[in-house]
Amino acid sequence: MLLAGGQGSRLHALTSHVAKPAVPFGGKYRIIDFPLSNCTNSGIDTVGVLTQYQPLELNSYIGSGQSWDLDRADGGVHILPPYVKEGSAGTWYKGTANAIYQNMGFLELYDPEYVLVLSGDHIYKMDYAAMLDYHKKRDAACTIAVLEVPMEEACRFGIMSVDGKDFIQRFEEKPKHPESNLASMGIYIFTWSKLREYLMADEAAPQSKNDFGGNIIPAMLAAGERMSAYRFSGYWKDVGTIDSLWDANMDLLSPGKGVSLYDNDWPIYARTPVKPPHITGESAVVENALLTAGCHVDGTVRRSVLFHSVTVEEGAVVEDSILMPGTVVRSGAAVRYAIVAEEASIGANAVVGGEADADGARPPITVVASGVTVADGVCVPAGAMLEKDGKGGGEA
Amino acid sequence: MNNLHGILFAYRSNPNLRELTTLRTISSIPFGGRYRMIDFNLSNLVNAGVTDIGVIMRESYQSLLDHLGSGKDWDLSRKHGGLKLLPPFAFARRQQQTSFRGKMEALDGVSSYLHQIRQGFMALADGDIAANIPVQDVLAHHLESGADITAVCTSHPMADPRQSTYFTIGADGMVADVACAPAAPMGCEALNFYILSKDLLLSLTEYCAAHNIYSFSAGVLMGMKDELKISPYVFDGYAARIQSVASYFARSMDLLDGSVRRDLFDSARPIRTKDRSDPSTYYATGSRCTRSLMADGCIIEGTVENSVLFRGVRVGKGAVVRNCVLMQGATVGDNAEISYVIADKSVRISPYRTLVGHQSYPLAIAKGTTV
Repeated sequence: MLLAGGQGSRLHALTSHVAKPAVPFGGKYRIIDFPLSNCTNSGIDTVGVLTQYQPLELNSYIGSGQSWDLDRADGGVHILPPYVKEGSAGTWYKGTANAIYQNMGFLELYDPEYVLVLSGDHIYKMDYAAMLDYHKKRDAACTIAVLEVPMEEACRFGIMSVDGKDFIQRFEEKPKHPESNLASMGIYIFTWSKLREYLMADEAAPQSKNDFGGNIIPAMLAAGERMSAYRFSGYWKDVGTIDSLWDANMDLLSPGKGVSLYDNDWPIYARTPVKPPHITGESAVVENALLTAGCHVDGTVRRSVLFHSVTVEEGAVVEDSILMPGTVVRSGAAVRYAIVAEEASIGANAVVGGEADADGARPPITVVASGVTVADGVCVPAGAMLEKDGKGGGEA
Repeated sequence: MNNLHGILFAYRSNPNLRELTTLRTISSIPFGGRYRMIDFNLSNLVNAGVTDIGVIMRESYQSLLDHLGSGKDWDLSRKHGGLKLLPPFAFARRQQQTSFRGKMEALDGVSSYLHQIRQGFMALADGDIAANIPVQDVLAHHLESGADITAVCTSHPMADPRQSTYFTIGADGMVADVACAPAAPMGCEALNFYILSKDLLLSLTEYCAAHNIYSFSAGVLMGMKDELKISPYVFDGYAARIQSVASYFARSMDLLDGSVRRDLFDSARPIRTKDRSDPSTYYATGSRCTRSLMADGCIIEGTVENSVLFRGVRVGKGAVVRNCVLMQGATVGDNAEISYVIADKSVRISPYRTLVGHQSYPLAIAKGTTV
């Protein structure tokens, strides 16, 4: 069950029209491709995608699930929006747990023994089948994937305290004084009969926020259920903010640092548009960058991730930036430390974003929202969030 | 669904293509960074709304089967109709010969398939020509002209005349003369794309079978030109035919020209191909890549100039690739230098090797070879 209804409000302009899991990532992907591909590669063939906020683009992206081999005769991928139920008006999903509660009927169609609950806002590769084996071996009611984070960052995560056998003793959401550095990755495996019981109880409690981290997990801990921690040690990145989205894209440019995309044993699948190969022109300079189909680069591109159908004209410079599908950077323009969303256009000699200071510290990331046109010669300062067309002359 | 059914002839091979066709037919030669030759006419038909397409094959068709699969990448995996692969087992052999000798004989071999076709018109096309033909327009032209057969041709001949068919257009705008395999071009060069009614095709197939006529161009077009009204459709967009290693190389290099790419990859009529889910191409610090057509999934650490690279190619540090065509999965080791080389799939060039061909005789290296 993939929770994909989040608004992702900390991604600001990037999620004004799409749900966070549909935000483009890594040149060819959207965030949701990572958990979906992990499911396919782990042999999970029945996936429910719970949608609520701005679902249209996500729905059409997932389609029949063909791109992830999830178009199955039995099972496959299912989009699960909230719906009206008999006798009551039906409600929006009140929280992550309520979203699953409202889809108990879907789960019962398949009558699983175990349910994997995922979120659609992390970049990582993980074998859920190995985690399930671990869950079964330890006869747990719930297994939560955890990652060791630096102690000083632990206060930003949901932190698990475990006993000597990695059974969870306590759970604290964003603790001021963390007593462990094992962060929850938002990946849960439940024994379905147990989860069902706690979802029913949680729904009956009027004070509950119907949230996994806030209500279900604490309730299970309080009742003394066998709660197991599953240690994960690979690359895992939350991409819920502009900064972390930029970081995770840049990680792909440092070989060995980001999630590996060139690994044939664990491919990440995506729905890709029909575009011809990309072109590097006579005067192109492309270094430490990712380019994909439909791009045409005549200018300079460094330390950047370009999605499909991006044009960088001669004399334009793109550095330390992410250019989403269909963006155009006209000649003489400079784009630095920026995220330029789909179909945006940067006019000739315009300057978008700031430069690193003398110590190499990067400036705040500039965002140009989808479809926005930055007129010729306009300067969009570092850290700006441009949601409307920038007009000529001076600063936008 | 429109009233047009497609038949693609994908069996042609050619000894002039040497290493490139030892394991495949011309239709499945990789072309343009991520395509196979057959993708072009297949996409042309699909882009015109054609939903039912039969592909006639004869030998070395494993690579084509792999590529086409169920046809889903061309939206041809359908409950009703869609892509039908017609390998030689489909052929009823009339005259004890091991295989068919030409298109008419091939069609006769699949006559039961032809009889079941639900559309009124047929598009006959080759799987080995790269062009973005507006098939809808050709069909409209055919209906309007009232011709028996509409033949797509170009007024800029560029293929080997000995392997081509030519039309002389008469004063009435119809084809007045047909020349097959002349010594020099004679008028418009056929792009081997024809539209005719299903009924005419069925009767021609029966007639030809009964009269031992096996070739469409020599037997039908040339042989019956006085009985049939043949209308030319002149298509002057870019068209590439692959008839030798040198022409494969030259046509590949054509793609580095922006106007050719605009013609061939017209975004209103996109060319579809098998989806491989490759990641983007990574250009390392210190790499240099200019005037090249680059597919996804490559890792470039060296220098690439004036080249076409297919998916998943690796170019090592210090390596220099100039005027080359490197097919899927080819690897160029660190500090190797190659120019005028066509490396087939999965070729490995070891570090520090130097390989130099010439424009007139590019060095073609067979699939899977390690140099």
